[in-house]
Amino acid sequence: MKQSLYAGALALGLFLSTTALADVVKVGLIAPLSGPYSMNGKIWEAAAKAYQKIHGTTVAGHTVQIVWKDLADINPAQAKAYAQELIIKEKVQYLGGLYFTPDALSVAAVADEAQVPTVIFNAATSSILDKSPYLLRTSYTLPQVSVPAAKHALETKVGTVVTLVSDYGPGIDSENAFVKTFVAGGGKVLEQIRAPLKTTDFGPFMQKIKAAKPDAMFVFGPGGPPTYAIIKAYSEAGLKQAGIRFIGTGETSEVDLPGFGDAALGLETTLHYSPAHPSEMNQRFISTASQEAPSVIMNAVGIGAYDGLAVIYKMIEATNGKRDGGKAIAAVKGWEWESPRGPVKIDPTSRELVQNVYLRIVDKDASGKLRNNEMKSFGMQPDHGRSPALK
Amino acid sequence: MLQLAANIVVDGFAYAMILFMITVGLSMTMGLMRIVNLAHGAFAMFGGFIAAMVTTKLGASPLVGMLIAILAVAIASVPVERWLIRRFYRRPELDQMLVTIGVMFVLIACANLMFGSAITALALPSFMTGGIDVFGRSIPVHRIAVAILGLIVLAALWLAIEQSSIGIRVRAAVDNAPIAQAMGINTPRIYAMTFAAGAGLAALGGIAGAELLPMEPTYASKYLVTFLAVVAVGGHGTIFGSFMAALLLGLVETSTKYLVPQLSSVAFFLTMFLVLLVRPHGLFGRHA
Amino acid sequence: MTATTLPMETRGALTRPRMRAPLAPEMLIATLGLLAFATFPDDLGLLTNILTTSIFALSLNLVLGQAGIASMGHAAMFGVGGYAAGLFAMHVSSSPLMGMAAGGVAGLLIALLSGAILLRAHGLTLVMLTIATAQLLLELANYARGITGGDDGLTGFKVMPLFGQFAFDFTGRTGYFYALGALVIVYFGLRKVVESPFGLTARAIKQDAGRVEALGGRVYAHLLLTYVIGGLVAGIAGAIATQTTKVASLSMLDFHLSAGVLIMVVLGGTSRLAGAILGTVAYMTIHHVAAGLSPHHWLLVIGLLLIFVMVLLPGGLIQLVDLALARMSRKRKSSEPLQ
Repeated sequence: MKQSLYAGALALGLFLSTTALADVVKVGLIAPLSGPYSMNGKIWEAAAKAYQKIHGTTVAGHTVQIVWKDLADINPAQAKAYAQELIIKEKVQYLGGLYFTPDALSVAAVADEAQVPTVIFNAATSSILDKSPYLLRTSYTLPQVSVPAAKHALETKVGTVVTLVSDYGPGIDSENAFVKTFVAGGGKVLEQIRAPLKTTDFGPFMQKIKAAKPDAMFVFGPGGPPTYAIIKAYSEAGLKQAGIRFIGTGETSEVDLPGFGDAALGLETTLHYSPAHPSEMNQRFISTASQEAPSVIMNAVGIGAYDGLAVIYKMIEATNGKRDGGKAIAAVKGWEWESPRGPVKIDPTSRELVQNVYLRIVDKDASGKLRNNEMKSFGMQPDHGRSPALK
Repeated sequence: MLQLAANIVVDGFAYAMILFMITVGLSMTMGLMRIVNLAHGAFAMFGGFIAAMVTTKLGASPLVGMLIAILAVAIASVPVERWLIRRFYRRPELDQMLVTIGVMFVLIACANLMFGSAITALALPSFMTGGIDVFGRSIPVHRIAVAILGLIVLAALWLAIEQSSIGIRVRAAVDNAPIAQAMGINTPRIYAMTFAAGAGLAALGGIAGAELLPMEPTYASKYLVTFLAVVAVGGHGTIFGSFMAALLLGLVETSTKYLVPQLSSVAFFLTMFLVLLVRPHGLFGRHA
Repeated sequence: MTATTLPMETRGALTRPRMRAPLAPEMLIATLGLLAFATFPDDLGLLTNILTTSIFALSLNLVLGQAGIASMGHAAMFGVGGYAAGLFAMHVSSSPLMGMAAGGVAGLLIALLSGAILLRAHGLTLVMLTIATAQLLLELANYARGITGGDDGLTGFKVMPLFGQFAFDFTGRTGYFYALGALVIVYFGLRKVVESPFGLTARAIKQDAGRVEALGGRVYAHLLLTYVIGGLVAGIAGAIATQTTKVASLSMLDFHLSAGVLIMVVLGGTSRLAGAILGTVAYMTIHHVAAGLSPHHWLLVIGLLLIFVMVLLPGGLIQLVDLALARMSRKRKSSEPLQ
């Protein structure tokens, strides 16, 4: 009698304790896992796996479970459906991912109503964060990296510039930010070329630029074939030999560098992250990610996912695994931490990610592989798109 | 001013030649076999991928890689024609478009699996790197090579189809197979060979145009509308029409790039729109 | 073929089992919709998406299946309807029903303007012209980014509660019934069009335009009117999509959307309106399931399915349904006692 009572109590105790330990915090990540941008989805998966490998899959005793949803292209209706499904069906406490701005905007509306903190891993339009106090971002914005590009040009004695950007939101954002800063510093913009997104032949544009003879060319190209074409055209038209420097932001993605070959040597870009960043934390991130996903080449897209999880983990810790959007957001406002990219901070008022922006030049490392080598840091940059400086 | 005109002509012609090379196979299969093959871009894509793979993995020279790729794609297209495309010769154009879209999807998925999602670069033969100075500016050697190649293809096809009995035989086989067969024409073989030729041309075009249209798995669908536009404007089925359409669209898009860059994509589609309104069968199209 | 032989599809319409109740199809849709709501209460986002896309597919089914107008640019009307509804909510009134009407009118106008020019063409030429129209509208929307928000999309507009009572909240319940109601009403309207003499003429034109012309019918006017009705419905679909997602984006005008809905319509079967709904449900359900299992291989699945349908089932999935129904009614007839 006493034995069975004791056994029963033990069983009950185990049941209760495992129930307590078994509480899972679900995180919903919306990513392009298939389709033309699936490379980026795969990079996010690799970075997320690396994060969970390094930091574990539990936070303060709560298991973090990631639910992935595939959003292959710009499809706000689908994005909203996923957000609703994740919140209502899967009961996620946090949302993340979101590569494109229209998708992020559509999810923002849902997250705001449901009071679910959402960490944007990529969508780079400044104004997204204005849509809801529950939005955070761990990537960057175009103004954030384009202002330092202009400063770099001014500092390195570039007097005249021609800008060449793709004719859509991010391209125009970076063009505006660059031109404003450059002109304010005494520089002269000879011409501002906006190329349609569908453009594949940049030869004519390079000829135009060559004829205008600026000291440098400021470029924005979206990831993929257009950027590939821009860099190929730049090198073929002999602009480098003609002394026209190439200043860009994210055009020298590590995924594309092998394809460019030597044509990419010497290209200057200002961006928030390079896999070649010489810190131990970064090396650990890169090596863990390549173990988890050997076929994936890490680039700046990945760090958004890595730090996005860091922020989510912090929020889970702060709320002790309980659903409380307001408390979570309040906890990370003003949070400063060390990321593989360098020191980062979430601005307490704007919720934007303040981070170092680096000047990188493409060169070859010891094994002859092309990389974005960080030459200097411009220090911690706010999102210039939302700061008074550019208004 | 003169420099600008020279630039437009040189760049426009180079761009047009690439468009022609890629789309001539599509125009040929449409004209000779009356089949709208939307998977044409996928054949071009595979041509480029195979050429890249042969050169990097097997260490062959780029020219050898190109030949192997063209042969591989042409041979691989034979079973596709035999088992699938052949059922659609008599079916409406829309049905043909839809089934070939299905083929395109399958091929894109395969390319993704086999070659990954990133851009695969094609190595150029060493004599093709660098530029030559023409009309006061440098033009990349490979563009000149593509232009010359395009003219050779134009001449070869014109001779083969318009001037010889091959074209007549193919048309006979497609228009009235029983009678053609009764006259001794091996219709199944003609179907297979013509389709294979179209696929091979696509592969050639894909490789030749790879500097401009980089190889990646969504290549097939991304540029589909562009390819169709050239064929529609030229008038399906005429080689010469395809050439002129490529020239027209290429020059229009290039000149707007120089003059009003933002509108270059609009100009392309507006041109197609206007040409098709005025001449619904294309510039040189024959009535079906 | 004599002049007195009816076109095949009309013959089919007359011998199809007559529905007992006058509103049977609409009741069926409404019932299925309620069933779906009860069975999948947590998937309302996806279901609403399926509903709005079904309305869009119905419009293309009308244009393609009934009148034989091959369009690969139908997203033009859908997208214009969406932007119209968004801009209407932003600048005029946030009443959902008026916004829906605005979207419908916008789609109608675009169909009228473009159809007037395009419908003189046929075959591949027509297809290319529809593609060009949608593309040009997309470029225009991108250019006018001050109004449309460009590629960031149009956001920041509010949608008033439906009938003043039911708010469009994030649970998506109002949105779902809004879309379902619209689907039922649109289906009713289109069915009336299809079963009317007008619809009969449209199908006759699809079969043999020359014969209709010879009999004194005005082919071009019929085609244009069908196209315009299609534009109206597509515009309504776009409006509902925008209102339920609170975003209008350039992807609503994209070629990929036009191609996608065309595939759905063909998959379901172009011969009957119901095919559009069937095709949309099948396509989007398969996508949802396949994407959940293996997102990287979804394209392979849809490609193979498309090939399969085109080769073996050219009438689409509705053909399977019809075969099953025919077999059931034959069984019933054969089991009836002989008189």
